[in-house]
Amino acid sequence: MKRIECFKVMADLAGDALVVTGAGGNTVEWYACRPGDGNFRVRTMGLVSSIALGIALGLPHRQVVAIDGDGSLLMNLCSLPTIARKNPPNLTHVVLDNEVYEASGEIDTATGAGTDLVDMARAAGIRRASWAGSPDELRTVFSEALDGRDAAFIGLKVETSRSEVPPYPMDEVENKYRFIRHVEKTEGMNILSMPMPVSFLKG
Amino acid sequence: MTGHPGPEMIVEGLKEAGVDLVATLPDINLHALLERVSADPGIIHVPLCREEEGIGICTGGYLVGKKCAMIMQNGGLFNSVNGIVSTLLQYNLPLLLLVYFAGDVGDRSFSTNGAMTQPVLDALGIRHFILRDPDEAKTLIKRTQVLTQDYKRPVAVLLTKDALGRRRPGE
Repeated sequence: MKRIECFKVMADLAGDALVVTGAGGNTVEWYACRPGDGNFRVRTMGLVSSIALGIALGLPHRQVVAIDGDGSLLMNLCSLPTIARKNPPNLTHVVLDNEVYEASGEIDTATGAGTDLVDMARAAGIRRASWAGSPDELRTVFSEALDGRDAAFIGLKVETSRSEVPPYPMDEVENKYRFIRHVEKTEGMNILSMPMPVSFLKG
Repeated sequence: MTGHPGPEMIVEGLKEAGVDLVATLPDINLHALLERVSADPGIIHVPLCREEEGIGICTGGYLVGKKCAMIMQNGGLFNSVNGIVSTLLQYNLPLLLLVYFAGDVGDRSFSTNGAMTQPVLDALGIRHFILRDPDEAKTLIKRTQVLTQDYKRPVAVLLTKDALGRRRPGE
């Protein structure tokens, strides 16, 4: 499968889900398929699923999707038992497994040598974990994952080919503020307000 | 340890500071504190397998309006450094780090960890405060939570054996 074909299917179904993406092509190709401020790009390799877990626990009524890579997940495997332990029903963890560290020169990861990330997720205690082998199968599995019954894990074997898409349009700090403002607006919350200056207060 | 006021004062400080999501990894000296955190219905408690994932979880919580803290040993602080640098510092994110100060003077475990803790925090630009007197716990926790929110950088409180309670007298 091509990565962008998977993202087109997911973008179609994701609605207003908050989406966390990682390094390399995942972020820009996802952003091209579903632009907007409900996307957060992670720069620490491995932390995609952990940041998505924190969002899912903090906003339990909102769907949250982590778009991870095999190299990234392999660096933070302990995220799997932690997600299993909390089992947030609004979290879907999607791993695009191309069997290489694509952003680091396409050197092989362990998944090409037989490590099965879906088996690992299941063994960690994530009961709803499966591979999707085609865009059609992904449509079925991803819609089921979004039904909000249990945390879900979806593995996708993808090619290394990149699609022609624009670069990510903002830096980390702007991404943070735009994401938080998006959450404030869509949830009717106040996250960033500052206290009144003391000089303004009466008495 | 029974009756030592530190752990309860620390949790009261966290609650009064509005902290409602706490990610933790145990150290024997944090035992009483973690029991209180996990029993508190007002706190989402996330037990970790490795500390760096807690940096991610607390980042996610902050992005959706949670006030977050981590509780870990200083070895866990060292485990978290990449996440601290390329997430917390890169994005200007607050986080209250409650770090058990193993190898502190008066603590015979992990003296190398003790020696490296403050230099590592200094190198990262993380302001840090040592808590020794349990009577100061509540005020210090509340003030450091406000400080990290204002500073938009992590702030650390180093928890000593005197603050948490010694398991045996003279230990």
